[in-house]
Order: sequence, then C-alpha cells, then structure tokens
Amino acid sequence: MRRAVVLAFAGLGVAVGAYSLGVAHDAPASSFAGRSTGGAFALLGGGLVLIACGLICSLRLAANRVGPLLAGAGVAWFLLEWNNPGVGSALAFTVGLCLYAACPPLVAHAVLVYPRGRLRTGVERIVLAAAYAGSVLVLGLLPAFFFDPVAEGCGQCPRNLLLVAGRERAKADLYRVGVYLATAWALALVVLVLARLVRANGRSRPVLVVGAAYLGLVAAMFAASRQRGFLWNGTLERRLWFVQAAALACVAAGVTWGWLAGRRARSAVARLVVDLAHTPPPGGLRDVLAAILGDRELVLAYPLADSGRLVDADGRAVELAASPARTSLVRDGRIVAVLAHARGLLDDEQLVDEVTAAARLALENERLQAEVRARLTDLRASRTRIVETSDSERRRIERNLHDGAQQRLVALSLRLRLLRSQLSPLAGAGARARLELTEAELDSAIAELRELAHGIFPAVLADGGLAVAVRALAEDAAVPIRIGPLPEGRFLPAVETAAYTVVAEAAQVATGPLRITALTRDGSLVVEVEMQADGRTLDRVALEDRLGALDGRLSIDQAQDGRVTIRAELPCGS
Amino acid sequence: MRVVVADDETLLREGIARLLTDAGVDVVGKAGTAEDLLRRVELTRPDVAIVDIRMPPTQTDEGLVAAQEIHRSQPTVGVLVLSHYLESHYAMRLLEDHPQRSGYLLKERVKDVALLVDALERINEGECVLDPTIVARLVGRPREQSPLDELTAREREVLALIAEGHSNESVSKKLFLSPKTVETHVRHILLKLGIGETADYHRRVLAVLAYLRG
Repeated sequence: MRRAVVLAFAGLGVAVGAYSLGVAHDAPASSFAGRSTGGAFALLGGGLVLIACGLICSLRLAANRVGPLLAGAGVAWFLLEWNNPGVGSALAFTVGLCLYAACPPLVAHAVLVYPRGRLRTGVERIVLAAAYAGSVLVLGLLPAFFFDPVAEGCGQCPRNLLLVAGRERAKADLYRVGVYLATAWALALVVLVLARLVRANGRSRPVLVVGAAYLGLVAAMFAASRQRGFLWNGTLERRLWFVQAAALACVAAGVTWGWLAGRRARSAVARLVVDLAHTPPPGGLRDVLAAILGDRELVLAYPLADSGRLVDADGRAVELAASPARTSLVRDGRIVAVLAHARGLLDDEQLVDEVTAAARLALENERLQAEVRARLTDLRASRTRIVETSDSERRRIERNLHDGAQQRLVALSLRLRLLRSQLSPLAGAGARARLELTEAELDSAIAELRELAHGIFPAVLADGGLAVAVRALAEDAAVPIRIGPLPEGRFLPAVETAAYTVVAEAAQVATGPLRITALTRDGSLVVEVEMQADGRTLDRVALEDRLGALDGRLSIDQAQDGRVTIRAELPCGS
Repeated sequence: MRVVVADDETLLREGIARLLTDAGVDVVGKAGTAEDLLRRVELTRPDVAIVDIRMPPTQTDEGLVAAQEIHRSQPTVGVLVLSHYLESHYAMRLLEDHPQRSGYLLKERVKDVALLVDALERINEGECVLDPTIVARLVGRPREQSPLDELTAREREVLALIAEGHSNESVSKKLFLSPKTVETHVRHILLKLGIGETADYHRRVLAVLAYLRG
C-alpha cells in the first residue's frame, strides 16, 4: 500500500517537474530556470533529488515525518515556476499563485525534525507555524483573492480561479508585508536550525548546516525583493535561486547519508541477534554492543531493582557522571539498562528499540546476574566491615586493659610494696605475711591480665606485622614452631589479623611440631601451616568466616599419619 | 646515681621515684610525656632514664622511640625501658639499636627495688639488661632437637644470665662460682651452641639472644 502511494507520488513528482520545465521553456521571461541548461538542471535537480530522498525515507522509516516533508518540499520547489503568466493553464496558475513560496517552510520543517521526526521546543512550533502562514497565506492565498490579472493588464495571464474582487492596492500591500515577513521568518528559522546544530550529533550535523545555508539564501532572496515588494526573477534573485538548488541537493544528500549510516547500525543489530544466540557472550553484552555501535568507551549499566543504583555486569558500582550522553533501554515501561555512549550515537529511537528487542533476553540475563553479583559484593563488604569493626574494637579493649587496668594494678602493687617497707618493725609477722601474699596475688593478676589482653588482640601484630607476631607466638607456644620464610612487609590490618588467626589457631590445637611458611603470590598472601594434630579440633567455621570476609580461601588436609596441612589464601592486592 | 623517671601514669611515676629515693637513688627529674622526658634529660644529664614504653599521644612505642633518641643525642645517658610486653621483639628493638647502657624490664619489676637498682647500676656501668622472665621464655620455649638439650643445668643457668646481660664477673658473683669456672662454662656453652667466641661483651649478648630467638 505504502509502496503504491510512494510510486504514485514519484510519478506525480516527475510529471510536475517535467511540466515545470516546460513552463520555464515556454515563458522564460518570468521564470527562474529560464531556457538555459543550467537552469533546467537546477530546477529538476533541486526538486527531483528532494522527492527521491523523501520517498526513500518514507519507505524505510515509516513513522518518520522527514520523508513526506522532503518529498513535499521537492514538489513545492517546482511550484515557484507556476505563477508564471505564460503557464497556460488556469488551474496551474492558481496553484502557483497560492503555493510558489511553500518550499522553504517545508524544508525548514524537515530539517528541524531531522532525524527524530519531532519538533522539540514550543519556539520551533511557533516560528514554523508563522513560516507556513507567511508563505501560504500572506504571500499566497490572501493576495490571490484580490488579484485580477485582466484588470492589471496581464493579457497573457490565465484566469485566477480564486479571484474574489480585483483590488490591486490590497494585493500589493499584502505582497509587500509578506516579503518583509518572509525575510523575518526565514532568518528566525536559520537561528533555530543553528541552535539545533550546537547540540546535534555527528550524523545530523551536515543536514543542519546545509539546511541553515538554504534558509539563509531564502532570507537573502526575500530581502533582495523588499524594494520591489514582491518576489521577482531579477538577476540577484536568480543567482540565489541557483545556489538554493545546490543547497537543497546537499540537504537530500545529507539525509541519505544519515539514513545509510543508520542502516549500517541496523544490520549490526541483526548480527547482535545472531551473536546473542550463543549466550552468554564471552566479553559480556557490553563488548558486543560496543563493537556493534562502534563506541569503544561504551558503558552498559544496570539499575538495581531496589535502590536504582547503577552497576556493571559484575555488580560493581558504575559512575556515569562524566559520560557525554546516555540512553535508557526501556522494556515494558521499566528501565532494564542504561547505556553511556558517545554523543549522538543512539539518536535514532528506532535503532534503540531494535537493540533493546534484539538483546532482550541477554539483557535480562545479565541484569539479573549483575543484581546477584552486586548483592554478593555488598554482602562481602558488610562482612569485611564487621570483621574490621570487631578487630578495632578488640584492639581498643587491649589498649584499655594495658593502659588502664594493668597500669593501675602495677601502681597498686608498688604502693603495697611501699606500705610494707613503712610497716613498723613492731607489726606482727602475720600482717607482713598477709601483705606479701596479697602482693603475690596481685602479681599473678597482672600476669593473667597481660595474657587476657594478648588473647584479645596481640599488640605485637599491630606494631610489628605478621612475621614479627608469628615469631613472638613461637616464644610462647606449647609445641615447637619452625618458622620458614615469611614476608616481612606489612599488609592491611584485616589481612594480617586473618593470617595470624590461622597460625595462632593451628598452634593452639597442634600436638606436635608445627611448621609455618608464608609468601605472597599473584596478589594473595598464602599462609601454610604443617603440623601434627587432629584436624577436627580446629575451629574451622571461625577461620572460614574470617577468611571469607576477605574473599580468602581455606583448605585443611589431614593425612593418614596425622599430619595436618592448613593453607590459607588471602587477597592482599600485592 | 642520678635518674629521670618518665611514665604517663602519675601514681606509677611518683611511686617509682619514691621507692628509688628511699633506696638512695637521686631522682633528678620526672616526666609524663616523651617530649617532656627528652627535655629533662637534656637539662639534667642523668646517669639513667627510666622510660615507660607506651606514652601519649599514640600509646604504642613512644618510649622506645624516645630511648633511641636519647641514645643518639646523649650516648652517656643509660636508658631503662619498662614495658608490659613479654615479646622479645620490643626488647630487641631497643638492644639491637644500641646495646650499650640499655635495659628492658617488665613493668611489675618496679616494686622489686633491689632488682631495679641492680639493673640501673649495671646499665650505668655500660652493660645491657634484659628481663629474666623474657629470657626464661626464650630459653624454655619448646624446640625440636636442639643443642640446648646438651647443656647441663648449670650451663643453662649461666646461659640465661648471659642473655640477661650479665658479665662473667656478675655471673660468678650471682652463682657463687670462681671467675675461672664461669669462663669455662661460657666457653663450653658457646662451643655447644656453635656461637663464635667474641671478646666483645655486647656482641656476645646479642649473639646469644639471636640464637635463642631463632
């Protein structure tokens, strides 16, 4: 159906073009094209190229208004020749009288809605409406009512079918006003198109540039006609008309180029469908989309269902603040993903819809996966925080015991000592003995407190690091500890504490000699403990919790001969 | 003997000063912070400074750092660090940096005025002093087959005293042995443990401690 309409319109366009060429040939005096080859070329070239481009767009982008507007503008381009007194037909003459200036607003309209098919601002709507009114009403229909060719001495003119009353004066005034107005609206349209240009993307830029140039030429043409008070084929006007033809051809070329680029992207979408048949794509959906859309910096982010926070496919938080442009992929009214991309990459809404549709399943999959991973990351972070908080709390308690209770106890024992030395020699031996006993008990209280504080948190670990703390542990262990190579450098407190906890727990349950080695490999601190023990006595859950909080791993192997090997791997970032 | 006492806990600081004064030691200055301590030492040039290992502001190792500073700026001033820590790591930081005129005792020793004064005197004479409990832990820690097992009980006693920083003369006095006998013991011990003999007293202490910690 649409194809038939398009074909019919194409036929009409060619017919109108041919007829216009005939008019120009028959009555060159009142024509812009005249009899010259160049004129014929400009007349046909300007109109037919626009019509062809408009029709292709109508066929390919069904819902888009750019196509019909361009095709209409192409036809209107020819009508400038139809108000020629030598046109012959009364109908053609009347149509020409009404619509000879209809081409510029149509072109402006097409350029302003390119490529999305929509006007964006109220100002655009108002200026465009004024342009239509100015060209069709003030320059066309209204003066036509008052134009009586016979009364005005145009013997060769055909009949004006719209004549109401011949008022030459009124007609001339309307034309004069119309020309002034036309200069104004044409300039206003130039400004609007340029304003568009500032924010436009790469693909629509050329169209806007030549569109603005064309409208500028139109404004110049009307400005040149303002002395005379109506549009005439003077030398300057004709020159401007030639350049307009070239500008229109460029507009058509620009639109066609943009359409071809869009088609390349769309055929890539077809590839996407094939690619995604092998789900999940190896580098993730982002890589596939980046390759297809030709934007290496492309960011694909998923909003989390509860918070709306954006994360990537691995569930890591994504910051889109710096990205130049973003497009939401919407499915059933819900944003499934957000693309941050180069400006103008996804201006074609249809393309975005097609991408969303093609990648629907893969997007949904990856989004759910991202959601799960993000939750895991959150959970891990929270576990790490809990462990860190409890460690720093232990450290604080250890310090308080050291600097508070223990100091006080030592001071107290010192006082008792002073007291005893001041005891009168007359005091009974019983009192002296009791005092000594109290001092001894105070001593053991101090020793117990020291052990308690050390058990809560070994200060030597925080002060000296893992290697120092392990050596200190060997001074106090119940079994011999052989210390292999240990990394002397420092790690994050949580990593050191976790590694130390593994060693201390092992030393706690060991029944025979224990051997410790530790090294850093591939960004992990690997601690290995070999010992004689019953592996079941290890508090495995506590160790796994502690390591798990840091994304670490624990393995415990019990050999037949009773040797236990504990291996802990902790990511340490070096 | 003239000493300066530095401890942020007033009760302890005053108590120690009082005890030492009663024992005939001249307490020429008292300080509550490391900064204050350095100023007093500079001002009074004492024989020994008694320093708490943990002092404001961070309550970690200000005392050790101050001790090193004193050793650097006033090599003639001895330093006795008092600490709650049993781990040899802290003591070794002090002794390895500067073994001459250095001492490290557990805090609760302060009430044992005889031991304290003895330590101060030894430090004043240029020796180094390490707390007997810490040494006992090092000597007594469980080991897989070790040459230590071959030492006689008497030799172990001598070894511990050497590790505590006692000179041969001091060991002979403590164990009521003739200097000749002590020398023989020491030679045997060093031979059995494979520690090279050295005439330098401080180097010998450090070598023995390194052996015990390793």
